[in-house]
Amino acid sequence: MTRGLRAVVQGLARGGWAVVSALLLAAHTALLVPGFGLGMVFLLPWPFVRMRAVTNLVRRSLGVPVPYRSRPAPPPREADGRYRHDRRLYRSPFWPHQYLYLDWSLGDPATWRDYGWMLVNPVVGGVLGFGPAALLAGGPLLAVTRGPLWIAPGLALAVAGVAVAPALVRAHDAWTRRALGPAGPGAGSLKVWLGRRFLVLVRLLALAGLTAVTAGLAALSVTALVLCAGGAVMVLPVVASWTRRVTAMRRDLAERWSGVPVQTPYRPEPALPPRRPDGLYAVGDHLYKTPGWARFHQRLDWIWHDPATWRDVAWTVADPIAGGALLAASAGAVGFGFVGVVVPAVVRLFDPPDPPALPILAGRPVLALLAGLAMVIAGALFAPLALRWHGRWTALLLAPTAKARLALRVAQLTESREDATSAQAAELRRIERDLHDGAQGRLVAVGLALGAVDQLIETDPASARRLVADARDSTAKALAELRDLVRGVRPPVLAERGLVEAVRALALDSPTPTSVESDLSGRPPEPVEAAVYFAVSELLVNVAKHAGATAASVRVHHARGVLTVVVHDDGRGGADPAGGSGLRGTRHRLAAFDGTVQVVSPAGGPTTVTLEVPCGLSSPRTSTSSGRGSSSS
Amino acid sequence: MRVVLAEDLYLLREGLQQLLSAHGFDVVAAVDNGPDLLRALLDLRPDVAVVDVRLPPTQTDEGLQAALAARREVPGLPVLVLSQHVERLYARELLADGTGGIGYLLKDRVFNAEQFVDAVRRVAAGGTALDPDVIAKLFAAGPAPSLARLTPREREVLELMAEGRSNAAIGQRLFLSESAVGKHTASIFGKLGLAPSDDDNRRVLAVLAYLDGR
Repeated sequence: MTRGLRAVVQGLARGGWAVVSALLLAAHTALLVPGFGLGMVFLLPWPFVRMRAVTNLVRRSLGVPVPYRSRPAPPPREADGRYRHDRRLYRSPFWPHQYLYLDWSLGDPATWRDYGWMLVNPVVGGVLGFGPAALLAGGPLLAVTRGPLWIAPGLALAVAGVAVAPALVRAHDAWTRRALGPAGPGAGSLKVWLGRRFLVLVRLLALAGLTAVTAGLAALSVTALVLCAGGAVMVLPVVASWTRRVTAMRRDLAERWSGVPVQTPYRPEPALPPRRPDGLYAVGDHLYKTPGWARFHQRLDWIWHDPATWRDVAWTVADPIAGGALLAASAGAVGFGFVGVVVPAVVRLFDPPDPPALPILAGRPVLALLAGLAMVIAGALFAPLALRWHGRWTALLLAPTAKARLALRVAQLTESREDATSAQAAELRRIERDLHDGAQGRLVAVGLALGAVDQLIETDPASARRLVADARDSTAKALAELRDLVRGVRPPVLAERGLVEAVRALALDSPTPTSVESDLSGRPPEPVEAAVYFAVSELLVNVAKHAGATAASVRVHHARGVLTVVVHDDGRGGADPAGGSGLRGTRHRLAAFDGTVQVVSPAGGPTTVTLEVPCGLSSPRTSTSSGRGSSSS
Repeated sequence: MRVVLAEDLYLLREGLQQLLSAHGFDVVAAVDNGPDLLRALLDLRPDVAVVDVRLPPTQTDEGLQAALAARREVPGLPVLVLSQHVERLYARELLADGTGGIGYLLKDRVFNAEQFVDAVRRVAAGGTALDPDVIAKLFAAGPAPSLARLTPREREVLELMAEGRSNAAIGQRLFLSESAVGKHTASIFGKLGLAPSDDDNRRVLAVLAYLDGR
């Protein structure tokens, strides 16, 4: 009995948390409106972070561990006194810090679990917490107000309240632990499922908002075309560049949200033609005096004749219709079903004096409620599909046509061929110079010395011996130089053992302890082997020089026609994927084989560089040591 | 002393044959490809083999593979491998069975006939002869954790040990008494965690540990 009564009191305290979470929710909602609605995102993190004081109190009372990520370090000062965030430099640390703070506070999944708790706890926590007390107080109250007939049921209710109190307190604590505790490895698949649906709906809503932008652009494009027809061609490049900015964003979103990768279809902008002998610039059939005008007309020409421009315009006009229909069928159905049908139907069931209007089944609120729920569920189920279809729709007009793709590919191949041939020419020049300055010169010296020995051997044997020693020295040096040269052209281990063993030799020679794993069943084509070998060599040198790593690993893997090499180290990270001549060299080297280099290197490490080169594998060599050994025994 | 010689360049093969004969070796076979080499090693069981790494027919590491295959059949068969380049990877493979009788030298080393013949004799006697270049590369890469525990003097001793020098020769080179070198080697074995056993074997294992960088 005392246990039950104590549980009732404990329940009251827990109900208090429900009230607090309801108050928090109200405060949040008040700030969310300007935060999201007016784009004042910097209002958002503060209440989320403040809220942690409350949630941490709740956690402490239940012994739940605190799940938050640690606060970000202040942005480091660059050598020139500025502060970096992403790809911009700032004079004061204020903005970079704001961005870091935003990322940290809103990027933490625990923040959103807190928010979920705040949304649900006013109801769940309230019922579980205040339930027993309400029964205990409400039972006798019924008996008092409704007359003697209610005495027995009222007392029964009060007793039931005390009896279920411990169980409800346990249930409340279990719920709170689930909601506020750290996400376990298999944490609530239902929660994940709901979260995904919710995310899909949010994305659809965001796309709907962007569709409004597209509609505005469509109006602008049409106006611009009319103006063009009237002779005001100046507006075209401006509107085209706005349109391209918006479509670039939509391509990006189609890939990130809908999983439909959409390539950029535009032709590369041509370079300004060189000045003619008479000082003019020729663009098409026209001559211009200043480079500015020439460039402008060239730009106009380039935009006008690129079919992708007109596909963009067609898309801006069509997207509000086609995209809008998809959005209405999913997010629209959920929103309308819930706000327009379910809520008024529920309100009607309580029979208020001034019933809200029901758009469907006005006479039968129960049926309307069911229909509304069906709408919400159908919309939510359709949402992921709608998002994917939306991506496909975007790709339909915004992706390059087969012809444009070919043109892009030709441009890309031309560039990589130029890279490859110029790199090859530079390499040959280096080899020629090394041979000329090194081994060739030394061999001439050896020949001269031997000639002199021939003369002196009878008359002055001591000098002759000295000359022979010199000649031997020169030969040794020439050999050493040739050895270095050969290593740079085609490393002997690579020739003798193939890529994996050669990489193993590199790993052995690296000062950072490096492990090598491989599942290659054959050998890649020789040029690819060499390019990848030198790439890995460069990367391992970088690891040794810059990473400060205690261990590194190289994984060589071939699947579905792509050779993948992953070089990983546990160093300090922060490698700039764009900069660094080493990485650029690697990229150039692999580009000749359509290979790619991907660098993931957050500040603080670890660094992972992935090389991918499409290529086949030849069947493995049959005359390996083991093969021969067994055949001879 | 009976020698099998494998070298595909005619001039070099003749030169080596002359050099070895002049120093009292009996060259029982001089071959120019991998399969012939393996057959000669297994049929003739020479006292030592002098082998070029790269041999026909594949022009890859045929010579090395034949030598390793022969040593699997005849453990401890002394082999001195010659190459235009030295690799730690290959040195490790050659020494991996821990039975000694391994030499691994750059071809340039034949210029100095005395030292080269000395190396062939050491290998024939079951010792090791690693090219100074292999060793230089190890330190160019920076000392491995276990080697970092060695004192500079001990490291010098280990380097010379890897080249295959005896304690007396090491003492001569470093101006130390033979017993002082003995103390250093004992300390090296201790630091590399090699239990006391046959000294020659331990020398090979120490060099192997050294090559592994562990």
